[in-house]
Amino acid sequence: MLLQFIVNGIIIGSIYSLVSLGFALVYNTTRIFHIAYAVLYMFCPYMLLTFYANLGFPLVLSFILAIIITVLLSLLMEFVIYKPLSKKKSSSNIIMISSIGIMIVVINMIAMFYGNETKIINQDISETVTFGDIIITYTQLAQFFISAFLLGVFILFLKFSKFGIRTRAMRDDDVLCSVFGSDTYKMRIVLFSLSAFFAAVGGGLVAYDVGMDPYVGMPMLLNAVVALIIGGVGRFEAPILGGFIIGILQSLSVWAISARWQDAVTFTLLILFLLFRPQGLLGEKRRAV
Amino acid sequence: MINIYIILTTSTNLLVGMTNLLSIGQAALYGIGAYLAVLALMVLNLSLLPTLIFVILGTALLSLLVAYPSLRLRGDYFVLATLGFQLIVFTILYNWVSVTRGPYGIPGIPSPVLFGEITIYGIIPYLILSSVFALIVILIFYKFIHSPFGRALKAVRDDELSAQAIGRNVTGLKIWAFVVSSGFIGISGLLYASYVSYIDPTSFNLDEAIFILSAVIIGGTGNIKGPVIGAIFVVVLPELLRFVGLPDSVAANLRQIIYGLLIIVLMRLRPQGLAGEYALK
Repeated sequence: MLLQFIVNGIIIGSIYSLVSLGFALVYNTTRIFHIAYAVLYMFCPYMLLTFYANLGFPLVLSFILAIIITVLLSLLMEFVIYKPLSKKKSSSNIIMISSIGIMIVVINMIAMFYGNETKIINQDISETVTFGDIIITYTQLAQFFISAFLLGVFILFLKFSKFGIRTRAMRDDDVLCSVFGSDTYKMRIVLFSLSAFFAAVGGGLVAYDVGMDPYVGMPMLLNAVVALIIGGVGRFEAPILGGFIIGILQSLSVWAISARWQDAVTFTLLILFLLFRPQGLLGEKRRAV
Repeated sequence: MINIYIILTTSTNLLVGMTNLLSIGQAALYGIGAYLAVLALMVLNLSLLPTLIFVILGTALLSLLVAYPSLRLRGDYFVLATLGFQLIVFTILYNWVSVTRGPYGIPGIPSPVLFGEITIYGIIPYLILSSVFALIVILIFYKFIHSPFGRALKAVRDDELSAQAIGRNVTGLKIWAFVVSSGFIGISGLLYASYVSYIDPTSFNLDEAIFILSAVIIGGTGNIKGPVIGAIFVVVLPELLRFVGLPDSVAANLRQIIYGLLIIVLMRLRPQGLAGEYALK
């Protein structure tokens, strides 16, 4: 049994890692506390539902279309909200509150169009594979392998591509980065798209497994943020580590205590980290903001 | 309800507008106040004034537990810590079934008794009671703003380093602001619990916390009239929408959309809110 819980933890951890990495892409580089990121995670499944279940497109095509639309929504946020605010040099609190505003608007629009209740994309019961005592559904396997693949590719990309090097430069100092001639606003377009892509993939994979309602984004965002803090703000490997830790820990707390206390465990961990190791496990000293 | 929200927003303003501390944990304190009020009214059978004192002190003390560690953090990290606190309190209220009855809530909360004889029951007495409380809170905060304590807070808000340089204990002041504001939020918890006579944890969840914060931000920060206007606005708007004749299911979402849009527009054009005097840093 214990092993089963750990495996479940690793699978959900891979999703946390993915979503957390998307959040980190924006937060590490632009210092925008992108709360509306939660909305992207929730938005993709609804698009998937529209294309796949309502319009009858094939699954993979609907997934791709849903991801594209989610990325466009993310870019819309950047152009309409974040970019003007950044140009005005608004404080981080103001940007965060605007982000909350966006979140409220989009969640309620979705709730108005699709209703508040839980929607299910995949009606069938997923088939399972068994390894010894461990039972895994195919959807879970897909979750794990797609996330692991994306995480791996991204890390390589970050290390070796020109864009990756620029991203890391921007993380270290965005003003200096623009002084050296890279257009930070162009970079931000790529970063916002990539982060939306990660959120969309994560959201789609989870919703395909367990369904969704308009409010699924927030708990996931919180887990992603905790993963980021535990791993350490700054390095891009950190949220991945944090995601797996949280996934496994939550799964173990279900095993040891009960599912109801999962959140309390997660956020106690967050507060402990904030107090005693605010730079996280892999963290370096924080850049002054 | 307006009065309850006025107390909530005015107290939150002490943090947000006066001290530049953005807290998303206000609904947790509101909930703690409500549950403490239930404890005092139902288990200890206290009358109104002792209950009031009990709730204020209880909430303030519990808030110290949060204030002390989280105020050593800055900016986003402080917001995160209060958010974590909010979620932990909600989980506890929701899951500690043997004490809080969890999701079933606590029904039949008795009306408070004043001076051992007058039971406050019905709409009009409540209106009077809550108005009196709201007025007292507003007056106290009015005094605060112009007191040495209020000025010191403003100094911390505007320039922490200078305030420290002239010998102010910055963290101490922030902790005080947090604790005082929490104590007053406890009052609104008490009013809410005894007015509705039924509480359950979902009234004090993260959405409520964001709602309180948005009321403060829409109304405006840094002075007295901002939060008051914010509270009136968020309570009156749903009634207005009902008046227009929208069906309830759409109205709830539409209301939220209006709040959201207002926040976005205000943050862009007028970050100090409709009637505030201080823009967040």
